Amino acid sequence: MTTVAVLRCWRCAHEHSATLFCPRCSAVQPLPPQTDYFTVFGLPLRPAIDEAGLTQRYYDLSRRLHPDLYQAGTAEEKDASLKNTVLLNRAYRTLRDLITRGQYWLEMQGEALGKENNRVPPTLAALVFEVQEKLAEIRDARAAGDGEVDIATLTEIRADLDGQMQRLRTALVGNLEQWPEPSRSQELLVQLKRLLSEIAYLRTLLRDVEKESEVSWNA
Amino acid sequence: MERIVGIDLGTTNSLIAFVDGETPRVIADPTSGDPLLPSVVAFLTNGQIEVGQEAKALLADQPLTTIQSVKRFMGLGMEHVNVEDRRRYRFADEGGVVRFALPGHPYTAPEVSAFILRALRDRAAVYLKEPINKVVITVPAYFNDSQRQATKDAGRLAGLEVVRLVNEPTAASLAYGLDKKEEGLIAVYDLGGGTFDISILRLHTGIFEVLSTNGDTRLGGDDIDQRIAERFLLVGLPEAVQHDPHVASSARRVAEQAKRALSDNDDTQLRLEVPEKKVSITRTLARKELEAAVDDIVARTLAPCRQALKDAGLEPREIDEVVMVGGSTRMPLVRRRVGEFFGRKPLTDLNPDEVVALGAAVQADTLAGRRKDMLLLDVVPLSLGIETMGGVMSRLIERNTTIPTSVKETYTTAVDDQTAVDIHVLQGERELVQDCRSLARFKVPIDPQPAGMPRIEVTFMIDANGILNVAALDMRTGRERSVEVKPSYGLTDEEIERLLEESIDFAEDDVTRRLIIEARTEADTLLHVTEKQLQQHAAFLQLGEEAKIRAVVAALKEAKEGEDYNRTRDLIEELGTTSAPFAQRIMDTSIGEALGGRELGRV
Repeated sequence: MTTVAVLRCWRCAHEHSATLFCPRCSAVQPLPPQTDYFTVFGLPLRPAIDEAGLTQRYYDLSRRLHPDLYQAGTAEEKDASLKNTVLLNRAYRTLRDLITRGQYWLEMQGEALGKENNRVPPTLAALVFEVQEKLAEIRDARAAGDGEVDIATLTEIRADLDGQMQRLRTALVGNLEQWPEPSRSQELLVQLKRLLSEIAYLRTLLRDVEKESEVSWNA
Repeated sequence: MERIVGIDLGTTNSLIAFVDGETPRVIADPTSGDPLLPSVVAFLTNGQIEVGQEAKALLADQPLTTIQSVKRFMGLGMEHVNVEDRRRYRFADEGGVVRFALPGHPYTAPEVSAFILRALRDRAAVYLKEPINKVVITVPAYFNDSQRQATKDAGRLAGLEVVRLVNEPTAASLAYGLDKKEEGLIAVYDLGGGTFDISILRLHTGIFEVLSTNGDTRLGGDDIDQRIAERFLLVGLPEAVQHDPHVASSARRVAEQAKRALSDNDDTQLRLEVPEKKVSITRTLARKELEAAVDDIVARTLAPCRQALKDAGLEPREIDEVVMVGGSTRMPLVRRRVGEFFGRKPLTDLNPDEVVALGAAVQADTLAGRRKDMLLLDVVPLSLGIETMGGVMSRLIERNTTIPTSVKETYTTAVDDQTAVDIHVLQGERELVQDCRSLARFKVPIDPQPAGMPRIEVTFMIDANGILNVAALDMRTGRERSVEVKPSYGLTDEEIERLLEESIDFAEDDVTRRLIIEARTEADTLLHVTEKQLQQHAAFLQLGEEAKIRAVVAALKEAKEGEDYNRTRDLIEELGTTSAPFAQRIMDTSIGEALGGRELGRV
């Protein structure tokens, strides 16, 4: 993913590595489409990042790259500005969020969470069982016309799940901060994969609870 | 750099604006002084077409062939037309895109809108004394791809290059000069005649980043008028009379006037007179009654507000400023409800009717390269996806993703020698295809090969207009494959070409207009220069020369106001010839002066 291809500026023919602007004439340069998101931002290849700094950098780059600013420009400028902005927007959306950034890092290591992540992670099995049971009770109670207890129980479940999510997020931050660590990368990778799969499962569960809450509120 | 002007193509009214130096200004109608052009187009049986006030005046007499609120039909198919619409207009039921049955031939919504755009364009061209070719047009933030495409088509049909479509709430925030603010979270609440938008923005030293947007493209002041008409005017009348187009149209007009009056007064008189249907109603309507009757309509705007905040990860109280846009936000009830929801008094300093057009002009100025201190980062309002097995929508681009954005998907074939892949593109938030809006079907051609062998990479790109572009690449050969686009509720490129050819009469009209304006501009310049010379250099005039020049000046002044641009051109020529010796003498002298006054003695 990290290509060190030599590129040539379309305007002044200066040779450079992947960059947004030519180091010599500062004309906007099209980044190779496979450029990784950290490189787009000029960041080192580390998954722990300063989020406020990322946003600031996103604004600064947008101010120089956005297609609106090249409306009257040459075809090369227009094309490079559009392609780079598309890449920049995607990179920002991925990196600004802790979880999508973790997933992206996992992909960069050649691993990916299966799209159908159906197996319950063992660490969450007890919690999942409990929540599903409570949700079933609520549905039964509603079917019997007793909607009063719903809200309180649902709020309780939600608080519980939110707490779990917070714990997992903290663990994820901890994991990402340790990269790159060549000697322990296998161990970190296994942990990262487990955390992300737990988070994904917890999210599904939270969505179910939320859906149930909406039904209860509207009832 | 060619000028770009901003257009607010509204449901009820449309406006055109430009940036005068640093200040955005709306261009008013030269005769009436009214900045608003009613978005009404009347089709007369003699083939004549009226736009604006003239068309609005015809509403009561010919309600079926006078199209009002055409924006509500942009990018829609016949299956989206409801009972109320069918009572109001006659449609040519040909399936697919909505077509109004009108004198001459059926018209699609973009064709009707093109008349409004032409009227605005002419207004600006006359005012600015130059032809207008490039425009920025605003659209509701919650407009889907088909509705945006329809707006762009309308521009094309009017002979305009639509440089950009800008979301209305975003445009409004530009006009509010909120860029002076260093940092802040803004909610723009835009309730117009027929559409509702809410956008949440983060400001950061000149950057306007849209965090989320939501809305309802069929909710607005029209619904309020309709409710007032039904509840306080039509109620009690026989069913047939209620649904009579004349009666219904008049009732809506009375309702709209009452609504306006009740923004400033506690009560007002309702008077509906349609003698030929024996309708005569007079009653008093109190603001309290009005508010009770339409409260649920206003309340319907709050669910999108809640969703937009949730998508932005914010609570109502975190919003620093609430900006009100659209004529319907003049209603005290709307201001109160919005104030309660966000827990702060909304900003209403700017004229809610003009703020979107002013913002469009500001963005047009940026696109023309005239300013670089502001930048809009807008989002796609609805998720975009494709149909997969079992009628399920597979999301490719999530709503509120910053545009421009793109995503790539790789396709292969399921059977041997398959020659094409069909892709059905959808927009919406629901799981099932049937609950989402169908945008278009694409056919990507493939060279016959055994099943599973071809690799076709399809790029779905949403550009800065929020419009989808599709490109296909054969990964084995590296060849670009052309994509055949069939919009579900729009016009194909061929149809637009055909319409443009058919409207050749109008095109000629346009060319004529342009020639008149150009000739007029040239005449003005020449008249100005001539007048100045006559005054400043009277000493150089020979006997009888002034009278000769003045005679041509007078003729030209008269001609340039008329439609005969050829006569204007001839007189420009004649004035040039007549005053040439005089001009030559002035020229010689100034050269002489420059040479040290040696020639001066000869004069």
